Amino acid sequence: MDSEDDMHDANDLESLDDDFYSGETGMGSDDGDGDYEFGNNASDDSDDGNLNRQQENYTVLSEDDIRQRQEEDITRISTVLSIERDHACILLRHYKWDVDKVHEAWFANEESVRQTVGLYENPVARTFSRELLCGICFERHPCDRMCAASCGHFFCYSCWRGYVSTSINDGPGCLMLRCPDPPCGAIIGQNMINLLASNEDKEKYSRYILRSYIEDNITSKWCPAPGCEYAVDFVMGSVNFDVSCNCSHNFCWNCTEEAHRPVDCTMVAKWILKNSAESENMNWILANSKPCPKCKRPIEKNQGCMHITCTPPCKFEFCWLCLGAWTDHGERTGGFYACNRYETAKQEGEYDEAERRREMAKNSLERYTHYYERWATNQSSRQKALQDLQNMQNVQLDKLSDTQSQPESQMKFITEAWLQIVECRRVLKWTYAYGYYLPENEHGKRQFFEYLQGEAESGLERLHQCAEKELQTFIDSSGPSKDFNDFRTKLAGLTSVTRNYFENLVRALETGLNDVGESGNQPTCSRSSSIKSGKGKNGKTRTIGGTTSRSLDDGNHSHWSCESCTFANTKSSMVCQVCHRRR
Amino acid sequence: MTSSSSPSRKTLSKIATNRLQKELMEWQLDPPCGFTHRVSDNLYRWIIDVIGAPSTLYAGETYQLQVDFSDHYPMDAPQVIFLHPAPLHPHIYSNGHICLDILYDSWSPAMTVGSVCISILSMLSSSTAKQRPADNDRYVKNCRNGRSPKETRWWFHDDKV
Ligand SMILES: [Zn+2]
Ligand SMILES: [Zn+2]
Ligand SMILES: [Zn+2]
Ligand SMILES: [Zn+2]
Ligand SMILES: [Zn+2]
Ligand SMILES: [Zn+2]
Ligand SMILES: [Zn+2]
Repeated sequence: MDSEDDMHDANDLESLDDDFYSGETGMGSDDGDGDYEFGNNASDDSDDGNLNRQQENYTVLSEDDIRQRQEEDITRISTVLSIERDHACILLRHYKWDVDKVHEAWFANEESVRQTVGLYENPVARTFSRELLCGICFERHPCDRMCAASCGHFFCYSCWRGYVSTSINDGPGCLMLRCPDPPCGAIIGQNMINLLASNEDKEKYSRYILRSYIEDNITSKWCPAPGCEYAVDFVMGSVNFDVSCNCSHNFCWNCTEEAHRPVDCTMVAKWILKNSAESENMNWILANSKPCPKCKRPIEKNQGCMHITCTPPCKFEFCWLCLGAWTDHGERTGGFYACNRYETAKQEGEYDEAERRREMAKNSLERYTHYYERWATNQSSRQKALQDLQNMQNVQLDKLSDTQSQPESQMKFITEAWLQIVECRRVLKWTYAYGYYLPENEHGKRQFFEYLQGEAESGLERLHQCAEKELQTFIDSSGPSKDFNDFRTKLAGLTSVTRNYFENLVRALETGLNDVGESGNQPTCSRSSSIKSGKGKNGKTRTIGGTTSRSLDDGNHSHWSCESCTFANTKSSMVCQVCHRRR
Repeated sequence: MTSSSSPSRKTLSKIATNRLQKELMEWQLDPPCGFTHRVSDNLYRWIIDVIGAPSTLYAGETYQLQVDFSDHYPMDAPQVIFLHPAPLHPHIYSNGHICLDILYDSWSPAMTVGSVCISILSMLSSSTAKQRPADNDRYVKNCRNGRSPKETRWWFHDDKV
């Protein structure tokens, strides 16, 4: 998809037919969130900064890009040092493809560089006889059947070929191949390899040189996704390690695990190690089916969100994580869809699942299990969301644009919603590793953390519901629906709100939750509008599973929560900014 | 000059045979001091007696080296081990494996059995203590299934014995 074309399409269409847009919401452009304005919750201006920084601190390189850069570096060294390209390549390899280092070392002491690298200027040994003894096969050969590296140690072609071929087939060490004469350090470059190696071996050798450009260079790495041939060149010193490969794999440049903001590499390594150590104990958790808490028939979770509806006639709606009735998770209990309350679950001890766990494992495993299960659930939900996104792009959008008779370029808000869901699942997943390592006795931080996580999670659940179930009704409908434009506004709004929640969450965790006050029940997050709006919630006390948690309300009654979409609107507006429902 | 194909196994084996015959001839004319090659028909396995050099810890003691060559010799290093009982030495394991770089990573086809023998003797001569390497038991246990020393990823001990 070419996003610029889409944008032009959208703009052209807009000028032709303003009815596509619900006028005053100001959503004229379908790309980027910068255009959305939600009353006082105006878009956070640091977003664009983030985006730019991300684009500047790394470059994804294709094989062609790599070859081109490599050729350019070789040309630069060869020109500046006035040496053969072959020798320039040898020098660059020795100095790990650092052009500046080559310059520096060469101009400081050329002779010493030549000695270390093995690039001799005047052959140590020279001969004028017509026949020579080859030091490998111990036969005499005429001089024109023999050759030597820069040192002048002659061996016959047949021995050279055996020597070179053995080395190339031994692996990338062949890039450091030296003259066979034992104490001699003369380096064998690509020119000589091309003279002596088979076509197949030449090809292997040139791949090793290409690989060396990425693997030996401290600023670049291969994308770790299986089968991916892109590399990433990173601007050293950048704070944010998350990179996104053209193959769509997001990973951490520093540790090459999948992207794991907001937790750091050390914690990820610890968590992965922990998981592999516990994996045998964990198998029972991963069973993808649970009995319906009401009718006890086994239910398999097939949708990405945690809201499960049992098959008819039971139709019991419950939460996949805690198996509690879904009604307990709704607006009535404080407006949270979240189910991250391990402490609460433990205190209550009502669930079968929890009792089973208590029998099966000790306290520490139980605690780990809580976080692991949520980590793994979000992982598989993310996979599911990725599949859904693909299905959406390949099949559903087409169908939808048919039934709603709107061009597919107008459906981009759906793709964006799903991309946001995928990203949210990734972040949420890692917050559970974070939660596991957050010390139990840091009550203030824990409470703040769970609060932020709950906010993010409930925002995501709403978005997921909307993008999955509500969308389905429009796909299935027989003809254009007049509600579709409202749906567009709602989904785009939820996407933007959810993005804000998650950015706040990531920022807070990355700064070690240091914004939390000493008293522990007064979370303040200086400049994040959506946290404040989250706290607003009509000043309701948050109640989960019948247990009243400490109020997180900051007493600021400047917002009201929409009953339909829970968006926190400013007091001054009488209509929800997202779904247009009256207060 | 032709350079389009890798040397075949047959050519290599011919090179190995030629080269070994030449080395053997050379050895018979001028054997390295302190070594005796036990005559046999097998060109690809040499058994060599080593006599400890005078005024060293191994003076007068005799040990046997077994040297095996592959078809890829001399491109590939020969496999060299001490037959039982192997000399007590900080770089020689009780199963006869020798930790010496030229037998593995630092091998060059321009080296010969003779030059290898001389390196091994000089390694023995410079020893100041008759003892096994610190990791002997662990290493030997790991080699029980008949692993060749050439399959070991050697971490070479420092040059000082
Ligand atoms: Zn040389
Ligand atoms: Zn030769
Ligand atoms: Zn990739
Ligand atoms: Zn990392
Ligand atoms: Zn049921
Ligand atoms: Zn729940
Ligand atoms: Zn609303």
